[in-house]
Amino acid sequence: MITAAVEEYLEAIYKMSQDDGPVIAARLAEHMQVSPPTVADMMRRMKEAGLVKMPRKKGVVLTARGEELAEKLVRRHRLWERFLTDVLGFDWDQVHEEACKLEHAISDQVEEKLAEMLGDPETCPHGHPIPGTRGARERMKADRPLSDLCVGDEAVIERVAEEEPKLLQYLASLGLLPEAHVSVKEIAPFKGPLLVQVAGAQYALGQEVASKIIVRTS
Amino acid sequence: MPLSCHSALHKFRESTDFTVALAGNPNVGKSSVFNSLTGMGVDTANYPGKTVEVNMATTTLDDTAIGIIDLPGTYALGAVSEDQWVARQGVLDGNPDVVVMVIDATKLARNLYMVIQFLELGYPMVIALNVYDVAQRQGRHIDVKALSKHLGVPIVPTVANRGEGLDELMEMAVAVARERQKPSPQGLVYGKDIELEVATLTNEIASRELEDPYGLPHRALAMLLLEDDPEFIELTSELPGWQPVLEKAAGLRQIIEMEHGQPASSRVAAERHALAGMIASEVETIVTAARPSLGERLWHYTTSPVTGIPILLLTLATIFVLLFFIGETMATAMSQFCSSYIEPPISELLFALLGENVLSQTLLWAAKGVEAALTVGIPYVLVFYLILAVLEDTGYLNSVAFLTDSVMHRFGLHGRAIIPIVAGAGCNVPAIIGTRVLTTQRERLLAGILIVLVPCSARTAVIFGAVAFYAGWQYALLLYGILLVLWVLVGLSLNKIMPGTPSGLVMEMFPFRRPHLKTILRKTWFRFKAFLYLAVPILIVGSVILGGLYNTGWLWELTEPMAPIVEGWMGLPAVAGLTLIMGILRKELALQLLVALAIVEYGSQAQDNLLLLMTKQQLFIFALVTAIYIPCVATITALGRELGWKRSIAIMAFTIALAVLVGGLINQLLTL
Repeated sequence: MITAAVEEYLEAIYKMSQDDGPVIAARLAEHMQVSPPTVADMMRRMKEAGLVKMPRKKGVVLTARGEELAEKLVRRHRLWERFLTDVLGFDWDQVHEEACKLEHAISDQVEEKLAEMLGDPETCPHGHPIPGTRGARERMKADRPLSDLCVGDEAVIERVAEEEPKLLQYLASLGLLPEAHVSVKEIAPFKGPLLVQVAGAQYALGQEVASKIIVRTS
Repeated sequence: MPLSCHSALHKFRESTDFTVALAGNPNVGKSSVFNSLTGMGVDTANYPGKTVEVNMATTTLDDTAIGIIDLPGTYALGAVSEDQWVARQGVLDGNPDVVVMVIDATKLARNLYMVIQFLELGYPMVIALNVYDVAQRQGRHIDVKALSKHLGVPIVPTVANRGEGLDELMEMAVAVARERQKPSPQGLVYGKDIELEVATLTNEIASRELEDPYGLPHRALAMLLLEDDPEFIELTSELPGWQPVLEKAAGLRQIIEMEHGQPASSRVAAERHALAGMIASEVETIVTAARPSLGERLWHYTTSPVTGIPILLLTLATIFVLLFFIGETMATAMSQFCSSYIEPPISELLFALLGENVLSQTLLWAAKGVEAALTVGIPYVLVFYLILAVLEDTGYLNSVAFLTDSVMHRFGLHGRAIIPIVAGAGCNVPAIIGTRVLTTQRERLLAGILIVLVPCSARTAVIFGAVAFYAGWQYALLLYGILLVLWVLVGLSLNKIMPGTPSGLVMEMFPFRRPHLKTILRKTWFRFKAFLYLAVPILIVGSVILGGLYNTGWLWELTEPMAPIVEGWMGLPAVAGLTLIMGILRKELALQLLVALAIVEYGSQAQDNLLLLMTKQQLFIFALVTAIYIPCVATITALGRELGWKRSIAIMAFTIALAVLVGGLINQLLTL
């Protein structure tokens, strides 16, 4: 039996792991605003239900089944958000909580009809991809770490893995943020740093930093 | 709450009519503004626990005493990194009458980010739109009036390194400070959803009539809490009545995070960047696409792998050659000058006043100390400081950091560490203070040890003054080779032994700037002056002490206990052991005292007087040991302050052991 609470966890793990791979339990506890023991307990139950696995004890990864369920939930959530803004005329900053409640309530058929009615939208009102649409899959595929680029490549930052919040904030203060346009000017020898240009300024980014910046190339 | 500095800044405020905080991104010309306003009369305040310094200085303008608080150059105000923390704390504690923010006109959008942060905090502000000339040359036209209207603060275009616009800037700053005229920005509004959250939290704070930390505006506090600022969350959680506000803030952050799929702190940063970018694009028109300047094109060669590495090697070779030729020429000239013009009159004077006895003989050593300073210290140290200033001012060190990042990783460091390490070749003390740019304790300890093993200008003086001068440049090169091998071995093994991994490199890169002769000479002179003031008195006192020991005959008794190690193992004359100990005061003292001793024993006319005291092989080992063993007192103090005394002592013990081991092994090898 999958309760609404389990579904919330699935969704959270799904969203967090999109950014930085295995999800650390402590971060999950923070995210869900519960104590770490509560998370540990929940993870044990979800593991027994075959929704998550904990390969190295440190992180939590969704199983194929878990991911399928989570994707479905995120899809329903974002479809509802679309519905609330596009059809009912809510402001896009008001729809999140309503969608949280609605997403657990519907069947596959309702989901299908809802998507059909909205014209199979690719993103939610906040611009996040709706899983299960063709565009979203392609977008996910084009994502790769900045460290994979070559000299002369240009890209747009998609997201920054957030296991190091301080690094994330430091990069943010430099303007290395989602949607920022970057171009690789130079790569130092022997797996050295990348010289990237962002809005008039140039930065040297070490390989390990660059590997945490996920970009999409057009 | 850092009480001691808080009170230092407070006292500073009371002693002046107005206080001005000087803020800006790194490398925007903030120190040019600071230097030309104050003429370098600098006090520093240290924040306990955090080690970046805030400089303070006073200046007068039309009989008004103005105190200037120079904040560290940062990209933002926050609790993310040490420098950002200090910059913010410096403003909060210093509570300046006006903030003078220096911004780079060629990178308007990014610089506006911190401007917006200051505007949110509500401080009176004046903006110096610096490197205005370069922006114009690049074809960037900035509508200063429109920008001023947007931000609601006065803006003065400046070219700080030529002093242009600085008078007007200061007048404007005083006018704003007098009125404590708050900024009146127009349209500093974020995206709709963020504004909603900010407004909700601002109202929450306003409705509760709470005590505002530092008297900040409600909106500023709301922003800080939404940004998940650990410092302010802790601060307010200790104040009565803030708990519900903090809970509300946590809830709002959660909403932002859910809606945008990124932490609230990054979302707010993104909004602020977007706003900065929007303002910039409204006031800036780019007339002609900027052609890369000569500096930029040259710079490209220094970072490109194919040309960069040969250029790096060539630069190192040039430094060596310059030091060798210019240093040697100066040393010879100085030596002749001393033996003909300085020593004879002093000795005549002393003998005339005191007669020829132990006292006058001892005091005469002071003159020999000065001579040693002129022949060993000044030529090599001065030349090195000049080279270092050129490297720094052109920005070449930036390229070096970029190229060496992957090599530095082997030592558990990243490219940025190369800058303090290179600076260590000038003087270890500022280099060790410079390790503050490194983020983890592990990196700072590794860099600290490696810096101590970099021969500073004083040790370079010993190597050149003893080995290159008497034995030839090949031997000096060999000595550097040995030091390099040791350095690499130590670096590699420390990285293996110490737990942890290096953190990543994130560094802004600046294309070459045309070196500014005045700045270079000024920098060289200030460093050299500090060296003279510190070194020469110690040298004179040290010489007199050694002279006293020599003339009373105690010298030979004192050196006896060290004889087994110094003579037996390392093959040096026992007296060298004594000068090595005195060399802890200043490294070049070790050689200078030997030179002084040689002058006494064999007379300063003897061209190769030192060779009469020691063989070339002994000089080689002596210089090698000097380069490795225990750093000088000033460096030890800096190490203790930056890394803690336990580590400092461990480093000292390690270097002594290494020096004795290597010195002895080479002696045994050579005498086989």
